[in-house]
Amino acid sequence: MDSTLLTWITFIPLIGMAVIMCLPARALGTVKLVSLVATFIPLVLATVAYVGFDKTTEQMQFVANVPWISGLGVNYHVGVDGLSLPLVWLTTLLLFIGIPASFGIAKAGRAYYALLLLLEVGIVGVFVSLDYFLFYVYWEIMLLPMYFLIGIWGGPRREYAAIKFFLYTLAGSVLMLVALVALRLSSGTFSIQEMIELAQAGSLTGANLPFGGALLGMKFTTWVFWFLFVAFAIKVPVFPFHTWLPDAHVQAPTPISVILAGILLKLGGYGMLRACFPIVPDAFRTFAYVLGVLGVISIIYGAFVALGQTDFKRMVAYSSVSHMGYVLLGFAALTEWGMSGAALQMFNHGTSSAALFLIVGVIYDRAHHRDLNGFGGLSQPMPIYWGLTTVAFFAALGLPGMAGFVSEALTLVGAYDSADPRFRILVLLSVLGIVITAGFLLWAMQRVFLGTLNEKYKDLSDINLREILCLAPLLFLCVALGIFPHFLLDWMEPSVRHLVGLLGGGAG
Amino acid sequence: MANAYLSGLAAIAPELVLTGTALAALVFDLVTKGRDSRRVGYLALGGLALTSLLLIGQWGEPPRTVLGMVTVDQFGNFFKLFTCASLAAVVVFVLNDRRERRHGIGEYYFLLLGAAVGVFFMVSTNNLLLLMLGLELLSLASYSLAGFHKGDRKSAEAAMKYVVFGGLSAGIMLYGISLLYGLTGTIDLAEMASADGSGHPAGLAGQLAQNPIPVAVAVVLILAGFAYKVSLVPFHFWTPDVYEGAPTPVTTFLAVGSKAAGFGALLRFVGALFVREDVQDTVRAYGERVGLLIAILAAVTMTVGNLSALRQRSLKRMLAFSSIAHAGYVMIGVAAMSAGGFEAAMYYLAAYYFMNLGAFGFLLYFEGVTSSDDIDGLKGLGWRAPLVSIAMVVFLVSLTGLPPTVGFYGKYLLFQEGVAANLIWLVVIAGLNSVISLFYYFRVVRTLFLSKPAEREVAPQPLFVGLLAALGVATVFFALYTAPLVDWARRSMDLLWASSG
Repeated sequence: MDSTLLTWITFIPLIGMAVIMCLPARALGTVKLVSLVATFIPLVLATVAYVGFDKTTEQMQFVANVPWISGLGVNYHVGVDGLSLPLVWLTTLLLFIGIPASFGIAKAGRAYYALLLLLEVGIVGVFVSLDYFLFYVYWEIMLLPMYFLIGIWGGPRREYAAIKFFLYTLAGSVLMLVALVALRLSSGTFSIQEMIELAQAGSLTGANLPFGGALLGMKFTTWVFWFLFVAFAIKVPVFPFHTWLPDAHVQAPTPISVILAGILLKLGGYGMLRACFPIVPDAFRTFAYVLGVLGVISIIYGAFVALGQTDFKRMVAYSSVSHMGYVLLGFAALTEWGMSGAALQMFNHGTSSAALFLIVGVIYDRAHHRDLNGFGGLSQPMPIYWGLTTVAFFAALGLPGMAGFVSEALTLVGAYDSADPRFRILVLLSVLGIVITAGFLLWAMQRVFLGTLNEKYKDLSDINLREILCLAPLLFLCVALGIFPHFLLDWMEPSVRHLVGLLGGGAG
Repeated sequence: MANAYLSGLAAIAPELVLTGTALAALVFDLVTKGRDSRRVGYLALGGLALTSLLLIGQWGEPPRTVLGMVTVDQFGNFFKLFTCASLAAVVVFVLNDRRERRHGIGEYYFLLLGAAVGVFFMVSTNNLLLLMLGLELLSLASYSLAGFHKGDRKSAEAAMKYVVFGGLSAGIMLYGISLLYGLTGTIDLAEMASADGSGHPAGLAGQLAQNPIPVAVAVVLILAGFAYKVSLVPFHFWTPDVYEGAPTPVTTFLAVGSKAAGFGALLRFVGALFVREDVQDTVRAYGERVGLLIAILAAVTMTVGNLSALRQRSLKRMLAFSSIAHAGYVMIGVAAMSAGGFEAAMYYLAAYYFMNLGAFGFLLYFEGVTSSDDIDGLKGLGWRAPLVSIAMVVFLVSLTGLPPTVGFYGKYLLFQEGVAANLIWLVVIAGLNSVISLFYYFRVVRTLFLSKPAEREVAPQPLFVGLLAALGVATVFFALYTAPLVDWARRSMDLLWASSG
């Protein structure tokens, strides 16, 4: 069971997809049921993995390694450590929530659920891959269902948003592919772990390539680092590569926004930790400060732009840019606290932003618009909805006691402790982001829920049971992980310590 | 002597069967007075199947040269088998295309099979004269095929352009060959490259030292001839017009079978002249400079092809430009000037067969439904004909080079060999080109699926749909299980290196 567990988690949705494709188009009820089952089993299995995980080691667990393309030395090599397992679990959870959340979409049929399941295969696959080729294949598989999900079921400008998302990500992927080819030729292996070992030994420098692997006068490690970083930064998204995100988010249907914000953005951060920084650690150390600056720009810029939005969903989308900035800052600081905080922030943003998008979806389904200035006094017709929104907003703005507070605080303390004193300035600047975040969230709450009731909406029905059930696990995690963060941190700690050691950072 | 002659004939049995089938198709049509054209099609399919069986029967045999000029080896058989398979697909296309059935159909099959005979000789010889003959046989058949719709102005224009450009480039190539012959004293590529320059024939090594400029002129002229055949920029001007004007099954043959065969001959030419193990060192060094020239051609070709495809409204023209871009990608493998590069190019060509046959098949299917090749006409068709359209999405994903498809794996191999040959800049350009290509390939996907479902009902064509679905499955299957194609390409290469005389 141990070695096949991750494979089951990855491929059960694919089996579900195959079943759905064989069902007649009219049997929509059966299609929904199959989708629920095909996402619930991976969630259970991921929980089994979470419970059975050995927290004392940074070694990969539940490993399976069999040859795939022997001519090229590609293996089907999967495994999880403390960095990937929480994200795998989050993926299975959000996809499971995504199915009932889609019941409200009128157009959603067989093809919709099939694509959603295919998406899960790609995402989980990226998180469990330990072979760079496999990693890349999953990374690209994910794009196609996402393109269709935004492009067919999205809002009025869906075609533009879908192709923009695709082009941006593909541009990054192509850079990754070129770097991957160079790494393969330099290291002679596709195994990410072996590449890291070679990098530790100082022999992954492209010296065996023509001209030492240099490109346009850049050292091998330098250009490989930037190619990989940009590929992942587009996904995060880091300023200035973020412009696809608001379009994709606003046009995507609610469940897709949830998955996009909840998991797809984490792929970028996870990719940096797994497949970029430790492979070219010297280049990472050289440019760590630049990354920190980019992170802070994302924090402040994202928050300011969110402040200026009148579209509810656009505001939440930009808040993601801001929140993911902390992740980059935490990575760049190269301290254990910073790294733990960033890893935790990825998970917490996954729950809180997913909850925010669900909340936007609830009001959009009823009022059919998202203009923040077009509501008012909704706390009267929709008291339960208001209460849940308050929890989500406070989680997102990092109120003490909520999950977001722990991760942001850890990140900032970690960054302050960085061996590079210039990071202290960055921390001071990023505090500005916290204030503005609180500002735009509270202002949005005031405009939507407080004040005089807009007469048009006095008969709005309150949030229904299906929507509450979708939101509940996310909000529960937002609160629970604020009080008991060690339920994640303990799992992550050995891996984080190992990673910081690989990158040559201090304890902090 | 007689024995050698007979065993030589046995070795070229596939070619003989193919020629026989071509003639039989012509006669059969005359006898039945074109009344039942489908039977001629089945005859052609039967002949192709027999030819393929004979080719498979030659599996594992050591390479040998028979009748003084025909080299029978795995490398040639790789392209011959794919030619047979693509031609069979084209025949199925013709059988399913109502518009094609109106025209004198017997000659149609005769010309297609005749073109295939040309391909067979062209990819299996080190002898420049036979190479030229095969090329001309292929070209002559192609000219007539391009103009097959006699009443159609576009078709006539296509044929005319094709003849003029083709004649010119054949002349140029022949001039290059005559120069090379005059310089080296031999018409055989292997002899040319391996002679050390002291004796007679003088060989390329000796002439490189004494007459570098005439050698350069000869090589460039011959490459120009090939560049025309595989439509590399700047020798591509005929391609879009001919592809657009010719009947769609013919376009399929030109873009897939004929172009890949051109690459087969080019690989053998470059391989035998510059890369083989027994090549003189000075010649090998010269080959690397030729490689740089090819790399530049490749970069320009893929960029021009992709940028031009961006603006096309006709699916047929778009696929024409896309095939130019793909020729550019394949050239990365040629430019690498290494066994690995050639292997990658061969794998990519195999991938090219699958995805382009599929894409052109879809084009034909769609022309049958909407009677136009305008992309806008596809609106919402995906919901009406889901199986064919999903197959088309697979082909387009593969053409873009995304996993898990053969197009991706082929591109990966090409990139790897490019980087290994110190062509990182070319690989980066190719990567950016993939991003550009996504935009126009996915315009088709968008029109198919992202628009409202069409009102039009689509008549089912089980055989045709089955073929496209099978190609779609193959496009994914051979990317997940790459061993057969990769091994095949590698084995063909090994034999090419070892074969001498």
